Amino acid sequence: MLLIQPELVVAIVRDAGGRVIGRTRLQKIAYLLDAVGFCDGFHFIYKHYGPFSEGVAASAMMGVLLGHITEDREQAAWGGIYSIYSVDAQPDYRVPVGRCELARRAKDSDAVALELAATAVFLSRANYDDPWFETAIRKPEKYKSGRLTQAMELLAELKQIDVPIPLPDNV
Amino acid sequence: MSIVREWTGENRMESQELTALAAALVHDVGHGPFSHAFESVGNELGLKLADHEQMSDQLIRKSEIAEILRELGSGFANDVADMIKKDGWQTVHNAVVSSQFDADRLDYMRRDRLMTGTQQSAIDLKWLLANLQIAKVPVGVDELKFGEVPTFVIGLKAIPAAEAYVLGNFQLYPAVYFHKTTRGAEKIFAELLVRLVKLVRDESGSAVGLEATHPLMKFAKAPDDVGTVVNLDDTVIWGALPQLRESEDQLVKSFAVRLQDRKLFKCIDIRVLVYHGIDPKNVADKRHIELTDKCCEKILDKLGTLKEEKRTADGVPTILTDKASRSPYKTGGGSRGPVERINVQTEGGDLIDLKQRSDVVAALRDFKLVRAYYDPEYPALKDDILAIVKREVAACC
Repeated sequence: MLLIQPELVVAIVRDAGGRVIGRTRLQKIAYLLDAVGFCDGFHFIYKHYGPFSEGVAASAMMGVLLGHITEDREQAAWGGIYSIYSVDAQPDYRVPVGRCELARRAKDSDAVALELAATAVFLSRANYDDPWFETAIRKPEKYKSGRLTQAMELLAELKQIDVPIPLPDNV
Repeated sequence: MSIVREWTGENRMESQELTALAAALVHDVGHGPFSHAFESVGNELGLKLADHEQMSDQLIRKSEIAEILRELGSGFANDVADMIKKDGWQTVHNAVVSSQFDADRLDYMRRDRLMTGTQQSAIDLKWLLANLQIAKVPVGVDELKFGEVPTFVIGLKAIPAAEAYVLGNFQLYPAVYFHKTTRGAEKIFAELLVRLVKLVRDESGSAVGLEATHPLMKFAKAPDDVGTVVNLDDTVIWGALPQLRESEDQLVKSFAVRLQDRKLFKCIDIRVLVYHGIDPKNVADKRHIELTDKCCEKILDKLGTLKEEKRTADGVPTILTDKASRSPYKTGGGSRGPVERINVQTEGGDLIDLKQRSDVVAALRDFKLVRAYYDPEYPALKDDILAIVKREVAACC
C-alpha cells in the first residue's frame, strides 16, 4: 500500500541541511538513507533514472500541499524543470550524526553522479555481481565525463560514515 | 519508421528498427485484468507483478515471448526489454516506443475513441506523421545537462494538428479513462480483489467461493509467480463473478453482485463541489486552486474515517473514495525537459516548446478529480458526505 508520509520527507530535507535541489537528489538521498538503514517506510523500484519511490514523490507533494515543505520550481539552462525543496524545521539532535552526514554529502554531490551511485547500490542489492559494469551498461549517456568515477568516489566517501547497515562491498 | 530511416540514412531494416517494432508490439503484455485497476490492487497489497512494467519485463526476458524473440538473435529479447525500460543508449528508435509521438499514444488515442464511441479527441494522424521530423534535444538530471538525444519534433505546419493532439489526449481522460461510472466499477473491482487475496492469505480461502484450482485463487496464493499472474485476464474475472456472488464472505459476495448486475455505487463529485464553494466566480487563480486541493485532502481524510464507521455489520464498505489527476501538457516537459515536450522547429531551425506557439496549449490546466461513491441502499450517506464537504469548505474559506 502506498504510504504517504510527508513527515519523513520533511526530516530528509531537514537532515540534509534544510534545502535539497532537485527531485532526483531527493529520491536518491531517500534511497541511500533507506539502503543504510537510516530511513524506513518507502518502497523503491528500479527505473531508468535509478531507484525511485512513488511514496517519496507523493509524500513530498503532500508535504508541499500541507505547507510543511516549500517547493520552488526553476527552469534549468538545458530546458528541464527542477524543484528546490526547503524546510524551516529546526535540527533534531536525536537524529544519528551519520544520517545527517550522509544526507548532506549526497545533497552536495553532482546529481548525475548521485544517480549513478544510488543505482549501483540498488543493483548490488539486486544481486548483480558487478553493479558498476551493469550501471554503465544501463546508463551509457550518463557515465561519460568522468561521472562514473565521481559516483565511485562518492560511495567511497559515504562508506566512511557510521551507518547501521554498511553499503555493499562491491560498489 | 520511414521518418527514422530518412534520418539515420539507412535504406533497409536494421536491428534497432526491429527492436523498436518488437518493443512497440509487446510493451504492454504485462497488463493484468482491467489494466490500471489491477495495478491499484497491487499497490494496496504490495504485489510487484501487478505493476505492468515489471511483469512485461519478466515476460519479455523469460517467457515463451522471449523464446520467439530470440529467434531473431540470442540477445534480442533483452534488447527489446531494455528499450522499453529506457536502459542503454537512447537512439531515435527509442522515440518510436516512448516519446510525445510514440506508437502507443498515436494508436490508443484512435483505438479508444473507436471502441468507446466518443466523437471527441479526433486527431489528424496523416498530417502529424507527414510533418514529423527528428532533432537532437538536451537531456539532464535536476539542474545539470548530461547530453543530447534524438527525438521526434514537428514542423510549423503541424502546430494546429499538435494542438488537437494534446487537447484530444487530455479530453480522453474525463470522457473515458476517468469516467465516473468506469472508475466507480474499478473501485468495486479493486475492493473485491484485495479482499479475496487477503482471505486467501489469512487461510480463509474456502470462504471465497472458488475452487482452489481457479486462476484467481492460484494468483492469491502465489502473487509473485509470473505463471499465476499471466493466467489472469478480464474474462477470468467476468467468468468468476457467478461463483463469487455465492461467496460466504459478504464483501466478495455483494461486490460480485454489483459488478455482474451493474448495481454500482452513486458518485458525488467532491472536487467540483469544493471548487464551486471556494471559487464561485471561477477566478481560477493559483490561490483558489491550491485552496481547493488542500480542502479536498482534508475531506478525503474525513471520508476515510466515515468509510470505516459506515461499514455494514459484515464489514462491507458503503463508501469508497477516488482521487486522480492528469496533466495535459507539462511546462517545458517537466523534469525530463525537452524530450518530454512537443518541440516545434522554427523558421530559424531552433526548437521551441509548443506552448510558446500555442495559446490554447499554454492555457490548459491539470484535470483533477476527487470523488466519493456511496451505496444507494443507504441514501442518508449522501447527506453525511455532503455535510462533511460543506463543513470543510466553510473551514477552508
